[in-house]
Amino acid sequence: MATPSSNSNRHEDFVALYVRHEPAVFSFVLGMVGRSADAEDVVQRASMTMWRCFDRFKPGTNFRNWAFQVAKNEALNHLTRARRDRHVFSEKMIELLASDNSEEADKLEARRRALDSCVEKLPQDDREIVSGCYAEGATVQSYAKQKGGTANKFYKKLNRIRGKLHQCIEAQLGIEGSMI
Amino acid sequence: MKDKEFQELIDQSLNETISEVGMKALEERMLQDPQARIHYLSSVGLHASLRRRFSSQQEEEGTILFPGQSIFTRKTVWAVAACLVLFFGLLIFQVSNRPFAEVAHVIGAYRADGVTYKTGETVEPGILSLTRGLLRLDFSNGARVTVQGPAELEVFDQDRVLLHKGLVTATIPESAVGFVVDTVAAHVVDLGTSFGVSVSENGQTEVCVFDGEVEVSLPREAGLEEVSHLVREGESISARVNSSVIDSVSYETSQFENALPVNYGVLQTTGSMRFVSPGPDFHPGNYKDNEHIVVFPEKRGFLSSESMRVDMIDPGEYEKSHYEEKPTLVPHRAMTSYLLQLDAYPEGENPNRRRSVIGQITFAKPIVGVITEDRLLNESEVVFGIPGADYPSARTIEPRPEGDERKGFDKLILTADRHSLILELRENPGHLDQVRVLVEAQ
Repeated sequence: MATPSSNSNRHEDFVALYVRHEPAVFSFVLGMVGRSADAEDVVQRASMTMWRCFDRFKPGTNFRNWAFQVAKNEALNHLTRARRDRHVFSEKMIELLASDNSEEADKLEARRRALDSCVEKLPQDDREIVSGCYAEGATVQSYAKQKGGTANKFYKKLNRIRGKLHQCIEAQLGIEGSMI
Repeated sequence: MKDKEFQELIDQSLNETISEVGMKALEERMLQDPQARIHYLSSVGLHASLRRRFSSQQEEEGTILFPGQSIFTRKTVWAVAACLVLFFGLLIFQVSNRPFAEVAHVIGAYRADGVTYKTGETVEPGILSLTRGLLRLDFSNGARVTVQGPAELEVFDQDRVLLHKGLVTATIPESAVGFVVDTVAAHVVDLGTSFGVSVSENGQTEVCVFDGEVEVSLPREAGLEEVSHLVREGESISARVNSSVIDSVSYETSQFENALPVNYGVLQTTGSMRFVSPGPDFHPGNYKDNEHIVVFPEKRGFLSSESMRVDMIDPGEYEKSHYEEKPTLVPHRAMTSYLLQLDAYPEGENPNRRRSVIGQITFAKPIVGVITEDRLLNESEVVFGIPGADYPSARTIEPRPEGDERKGFDKLILTADRHSLILELRENPGHLDQVRVLVEAQ
């Protein structure tokens, strides 16, 4: 096992690349495993694997694709275990998602950038809900309890807000109409 | 499915409220429709961005003022935080989070969902289920456990596994003494050894010790009186669920025949081959067999300090050669040795029959040398032979001389990948065929 701990330059290179692509990796993993907490675990493991195997990454090649590959393997390991308890995506599904995700990576990146200004444009009420439900450690249930409403009500509100953000992003990127 | 329904499924998935049925429907739709997958990926992307954006800080401030008046944007703070998390994560990882076991060999081993295991996979705590095939787990403390499907093995850590059903063989070096195999009917503690455990559908447990000794007691949870048995090599015990006794039974190794060789680096034997774990009173002469070529593991991972002549190092068919022409293995190379033998005895109505016994053996690591001639067998015995074992002399492998058309010679073929040896040995009662195979150490 390579643990290039003495090589601080190498570490900096890694951290720079990793931090830049972490959002893409997290998004990809979340799409495969479905649950946020699981996705955080898988991403954490994947980041460790990437660091351990960073020697095998050739500088100048596409770090993002390499990171996706590592993340996919971690996700598959996770899904194999999870599959004993509940239905999760099949390996075939994961392969399809992985190939689409790589192809669409640039577009997804652009959408992520566009999201920032769309969030700014949200009405104050909506912003409060999003920031409350997506805050560290928060769940929709805990937020609903705190605000005194049913979780269901806030799920619906969130669905609607995400729909709005979706439209805003499409408009910003000049995509005509909804994809679906 | 309508688009509205599909959107609902995606929303449920993001909200983590989706049902099993919903998950299947979502998957079904996306398997068929690439557009649906892309829409799903964008939706998840949005969801993931929101999570990252709002979970990285509680404040709604756009900028944070640090002492010293330097202004960081939220993004910089997040990036710095990510570096710190990563850095500390790595520190912790390097100290405590090394994988404690990994899949070292896979021989047709499938999970319950039909997905095959892969060599090099790390093993996490939890249940490992195998519908068929063989899987060898190498633990970081040196313990090697081969699981034979169908089986369910729960792995806790590097010191303990629980066999729910199926069969395992374990080879435990000094470094891992105290390794525990639990079953519903027995608690097996290794005391430096090689042993097998099997659990049938009704939980009945059999423990068979090939080498060394183990301590078997009743399950710790059973609340029964402490009964413990020391089981030594060449002994077997049987324990039933909820029974308060452990019975000694006759030593019968055949059920472990496939799994045990894997512990010793032999992935497979096909045809007429039989693997034997050498016990304390090992003597190759005790294994007369008209049907099988018998395989004995000898010294493992041994580093020879002298160079050694062998009969064959290159892939292909073995041919006789003069002593001076024999290839030499360089010293200081760790190797594991195996002795293969055909020791037939006169039998039945036709004691002089000359059948051929054919088999193939495949090793996990490449073969570095094959020794067939008596003189070289003697020389290598000094280095690789099992201490105290009484090796016979006058052993002959007779390859077909070039141009000889007659039937009935011995044939040895080293395969191109160097992992397998194919043997066709001619029975000759009263005459012993032996071959020593040196394999790269693991």
